[in-house]
Amino acid sequence: MNPCLLTAAAAIVPAADALPLPAPAVVLDILLQLTFLLHLLAMNALVGSLMITLYARLRGPADAGRWTDLADTLARVTPMLVAATVTLGVAPLLFLQTLMGQFFFTSSILMGWGWFSIVVVLIFAYYGTYLQSFRGPDLGRARTPLLAVTLLLFLWVGFMFANNTSLMAAVGSWAGKYFTDPRGLHLNLGDPTLAPRYLHAMIGAPAVAGLMLALWGTARSERGDASGAAMRQTGLGAFTFLTAVNFGFGLWYLLALPRPVLRTFMGNDVAATVLLTVGVAGAVAMVVLGALSLRPGSRLRLGTPVVVTLAVMAAMVAIRHLVRRAVLAESYRPDTFAVQPQNLNMMIFAVLLVAGLGVLVWMVRSLQKAWSA
Amino acid sequence: MNYPVWELAMGSGMLIAVVSVLHVFVSHFAVGGGLWLVVTEIKARRSGDTKLRQFVKDHSRFFMLLTLVFGAISGVGIWATIGLISPHGTSALIHAYLWGWAIEWVFFFVEIGAAMVYYYGWDRLDDRTHETVGWIYFIAAYMSLVVINGIITFMLTPGGWLENQDFWTGFFNPTYWPSLAIRTFAGLAIAGLMTLFFATRLPQDTFRRRLQRWNGGWAVVALIGVAASALWYGRSVGVWEQNEALSGAITVLPTVAALFKGGLIVLTILAVLVWLWPALTRRAPAVLLLVLALGTMGAGEWMREAGRKPYTIHGYLYSTGMLVEQEEWFADNGMAAGTRWLSPAGATDEVRRGRDLYVAWCQPCHTQGGYNGLQPYLAHWNRETVASLVPRLASMRALMPPWHGNAAENDALVTYLMTLKPEATAVWGTDGYGPAQAFAISCGLCHTPDGFRELTSSFAGMDPAEIDEFLDEAGDLVDEMPGYFGPPEQRALLVEYLAGLGASAEGSGS
Repeated sequence: MNPCLLTAAAAIVPAADALPLPAPAVVLDILLQLTFLLHLLAMNALVGSLMITLYARLRGPADAGRWTDLADTLARVTPMLVAATVTLGVAPLLFLQTLMGQFFFTSSILMGWGWFSIVVVLIFAYYGTYLQSFRGPDLGRARTPLLAVTLLLFLWVGFMFANNTSLMAAVGSWAGKYFTDPRGLHLNLGDPTLAPRYLHAMIGAPAVAGLMLALWGTARSERGDASGAAMRQTGLGAFTFLTAVNFGFGLWYLLALPRPVLRTFMGNDVAATVLLTVGVAGAVAMVVLGALSLRPGSRLRLGTPVVVTLAVMAAMVAIRHLVRRAVLAESYRPDTFAVQPQNLNMMIFAVLLVAGLGVLVWMVRSLQKAWSA
Repeated sequence: MNYPVWELAMGSGMLIAVVSVLHVFVSHFAVGGGLWLVVTEIKARRSGDTKLRQFVKDHSRFFMLLTLVFGAISGVGIWATIGLISPHGTSALIHAYLWGWAIEWVFFFVEIGAAMVYYYGWDRLDDRTHETVGWIYFIAAYMSLVVINGIITFMLTPGGWLENQDFWTGFFNPTYWPSLAIRTFAGLAIAGLMTLFFATRLPQDTFRRRLQRWNGGWAVVALIGVAASALWYGRSVGVWEQNEALSGAITVLPTVAALFKGGLIVLTILAVLVWLWPALTRRAPAVLLLVLALGTMGAGEWMREAGRKPYTIHGYLYSTGMLVEQEEWFADNGMAAGTRWLSPAGATDEVRRGRDLYVAWCQPCHTQGGYNGLQPYLAHWNRETVASLVPRLASMRALMPPWHGNAAENDALVTYLMTLKPEATAVWGTDGYGPAQAFAISCGLCHTPDGFRELTSSFAGMDPAEIDEFLDEAGDLVDEMPGYFGPPEQRALLVEYLAGLGASAEGSGS
């Protein structure tokens, strides 16, 4: 058995694993996209909350009541958002490595130290959120600078992910990087798509977190809590303004794509073009709905913006997937993978997943009830 | 070799060791500590002991901060690290056990959610609900261990999986149950030791002594359980008996095994002392116990890892990334044809070609001068020695993975290895460069004096002149045996050492 099955075109791309996939590739792909969307929501809530908290702390001295209350409220929940982000990040990483390990492991090795750094950085960043949550007032003047450092650490983690997930598709750059220096010191900085895709995600984070904040504020107002209205306004402001700003970054990302890939979204591929159109139209709707909700005295319900935002995020995840498939069209052929479905094990997973979610919901509800009582 | 190899001066083994030993310690605490929390909470409620309840509450905060942050992230960290260091192995484990990992992930998020609700629920949830959440935490954490244990033990003893590649055959493999027993008791022991340490912040009074007796009791019972299950585990491995790993076939294993046994015995004795005299548990002894436990656990994990040589998945995948079923192909076609990451410069430059082969096939385990370094050996070897060793690597007692280089590939590798040879620093006959060292860098590469492929009896009755003559013919005895090409002063010391072995055999015989 030839271990490499070398072909001239993709000589350097590792062969897919010799063991068969334990489920059809399409099933794993759906699970990958679905769990990635959930991870993205949690990541947006986390990074966006940290950004809004920092903004509130910086505004704090001028308007102590409103901003300090907001920052304190968010600081209390951020450790839970880290837990959610990490946990929801594990699943897509697992499915990604199953389907595309030959790309992902290679890019991880090329940026070895950068990729390894996320482990150490994440531990410090996570403790940083607990420090703000448990010991905030004791930190005195150091509280805001430490918060900024914590945010920077999370931004570093995101930047490493953006590097890795773009480098894994930049197959053409691998050999040059590795044979010049194999010590794992590379990033993907030469890739023109890196900056816009990273910034698009990081600007989107406080926008989505803003919408979540607005929902929270609305719920507070409905309970008669006076602080709810300001929370809603702040959240909707971030949501509307940053979504509008993010158009620029989205456009930059689109134009940075290789021409053949760009053309698939410009009519060459119907599904890709429809997805992009839906995504852009949805984003316009997000800005308009946000602006309408922001008007003084607006009683617009937030259900529509929430649904539209979820749809836009799902479209963006799908677009990201299509871009990767288009870039790797020559070297990634999941239809050629051997499959030996482990249906019983998949069923056990599905049953346990439902049961686990049920248990989680019961526990959180019990705590919520006890808390409000 | 499909993947590029990350060049790490410190050695990839060291990096994985640091990350995994710390994680394994904390993750076992996360399991055993979970049981300690809920059982002790119930004990406090039933006895109306408010001080004990307060201690459990305080401890749960420390527990949450340690296990949810360091424990969870370092667990993801092990995964990231093995992907960097052993991509072939990681990929194989994910393919064979995708649904196992996915199931473990469910327990992982339930565990994390339960830990948070347990901590934030103190004095808010009623007792019954709070204790239920505590039980949910423990069950989820334990089930996480139950799943991961199957995958980890599969790597050393895949058993029938090698024939049928069936998920459950590999999962419930020959070391599954003894390993689960060791890890269960290890988790409980660490829980006892951690709470012993945590309680040292309390004032020395009757409550603290009562508490320390309770904690010490956990540690003592659990450590005895670890020792009993370790005996069971040792008998279940099987492969260690077949390949004589513990008598020196795997160079490092006897030492690591001794460290594990010694650590466990000392730890158990100290824990019994603390249990009998709880007032002894001051901060320094409590820290000492934890450090000892960390070291012992590290030795145990090291045994399992080193004991898998030369495989990542025993009998299926070598640690270099070569599949066992590919070996025949390599024997027919050479190593370069199956090495994907060869630099273009290597086509014309022999040293570079040798370096590429070294990076792909040697560097997964070796460094130049650090962990598992080659330079301490190369310092004493000449080209003839290296050239005679390279084609015979798989016969050496370190149980190295196969190398099937053709003549040109062997030459290229030898040429590159000779560029790593440090300036001679040793003067044979001075301190540290005596007979034992001369043996270690020559015959000792494949033989031990009394254990694996023992030599003592072979040299019985031979005088130095006969041994000297034998060294000239050594390379002609069997194909697996390299010749001896050491310089005269090193050779004289080797003869002295071998003659000493022969004399000791005669002495014990008479």
